[in-house]
Amino acid sequence: MKLDTSGLESFPSLILHGNDVAGEISAPPSFDLPNSNDFDGFLKEAIQMVKPAKGTTTLAFIFKEGVMVAADSRASMGGYICECLSTLLFGTGRVLCYLLLIKQFFFFFIASQSVKKIIEINPYMLGTMAGGAADCQFWHRNLGIKCRLHELANKRRISVTGASKLLANILYSYRGMGLSVGTMIAGWDETGPGLYYVDSEGGRLKGTRFSVGSGSPYAYGVLDSGYKYDMSIEEASELARRAIYHATFRDGASGGVASVYYVGPTGWKKLSGDDVGELHYHYNPVTPSTTVEQEMVDAAAA
Amino acid sequence: MSIFEYNGSALVAMVGKNCFAIASDRRLGVQLQTIATDFKRISKIHDKLFIGLSGLATDAQTLYQRLVFRHKLYQLREERDMKPETFASLVSAILYEKRFGPYFTQPVIAGLGDDDKPFICTMDAIGAKELAKDFVVAGTASESLYGACEAMFKPDMEAEELFETISQALLSSVDRDCLSGWGGHVYVVTPTEVKERILKGRMD
Repeated sequence: MKLDTSGLESFPSLILHGNDVAGEISAPPSFDLPNSNDFDGFLKEAIQMVKPAKGTTTLAFIFKEGVMVAADSRASMGGYICECLSTLLFGTGRVLCYLLLIKQFFFFFIASQSVKKIIEINPYMLGTMAGGAADCQFWHRNLGIKCRLHELANKRRISVTGASKLLANILYSYRGMGLSVGTMIAGWDETGPGLYYVDSEGGRLKGTRFSVGSGSPYAYGVLDSGYKYDMSIEEASELARRAIYHATFRDGASGGVASVYYVGPTGWKKLSGDDVGELHYHYNPVTPSTTVEQEMVDAAAA
Repeated sequence: MSIFEYNGSALVAMVGKNCFAIASDRRLGVQLQTIATDFKRISKIHDKLFIGLSGLATDAQTLYQRLVFRHKLYQLREERDMKPETFASLVSAILYEKRFGPYFTQPVIAGLGDDDKPFICTMDAIGAKELAKDFVVAGTASESLYGACEAMFKPDMEAEELFETISQALLSSVDRDCLSGWGGHVYVVTPTEVKERILKGRMD
């Protein structure tokens, strides 16, 4: 099985004969494959070991002025504790059998409240992170490299359509190998604002409104009910912020800081990064109770 | 996901100078989804005895109702309130009755015994008592709580300082747990009064 390692080539390989040093550095990098008979089983175990950060809420939508991208910042860790119980059973005579029980526990520990989930691919394109943090970071950076190479080779910027297609093709070639990427590519190119959803199953969807992650149902509820195409930038950023806030309130695996980015004709700009804990009391201010439990009043003069 | 993590909970009890404090979070969830942010986990048995039940919420409620029933019977027969040590033994026995089909809940018991001496204890789901002189914890955030309490606890604290300590320990621990938090509920009990306070916490 030949893996598509074109995603890892960052420069065209030059073949210089009789020059050992150049020969060494010109070999394209590639991932090592494990030498085992049960490749599939090995992969399954490897996937379990690098079980990536699950919960998140990210969203993006296109409106009149451009694209609004927002995300939370919590990384929750589903670790696992493996218990192997092996017992020897003696039957009549000399029959032995082994019983192996593997128990898995998941505990929902907050690894970080300050993860950057909106990745800056280049000054006019953003990608969101959902699923495996390492996978998203690596492949987004790789996509940035490829976009820059395209610019240099073709003397013009790559379109959002092209960039998302590059990423989708790479992810498709690694399909089934355990990558976990659920990302949205948002940008502004010659045709205007662009938004694509790309995932590690190889899916690529063009759309105007997306939300990805465990908190996405809650974010969709707020986003869909408040969305209008003709919004100003302030209204859109407030909608995005509120949608993330509501998702962090209801979803246990989302929280931290609600970041909102705007992508316009001149590129992306970070609009706000509000701590969600404080945002709650901003939207639901606590009014001190004015009713007193027991009040002393003067007895009415007889 | 384990059955103990289905609803999510955090409970802690601490001993002070002739007083005790018991605190819990306020979230009720169904796995990752938050259903309520005002769920009561700590209940009063009598003025000087409180029990908090972590774990599966339905078992916590049912167990609490059983315990109230047993305590009321005791009150009728003995014409007095139960001592905390006795109550702890009662809870342990009721939990062990269900040894092969247990209540999926971990109780935290806190009370003032004879001469108003503070008493705290916790149990596992089948009734193994763990008495402590300083603090006990239970729930999905228990590991974080152990760390926080160990760092912040001092013996013989007065009621106000005890309240501050237990609140800080609870809030900082639940901020590291996806399944508990969304506010806090603290009871500080001295021989003369019971102070109930709601904590403002991170609602994420």
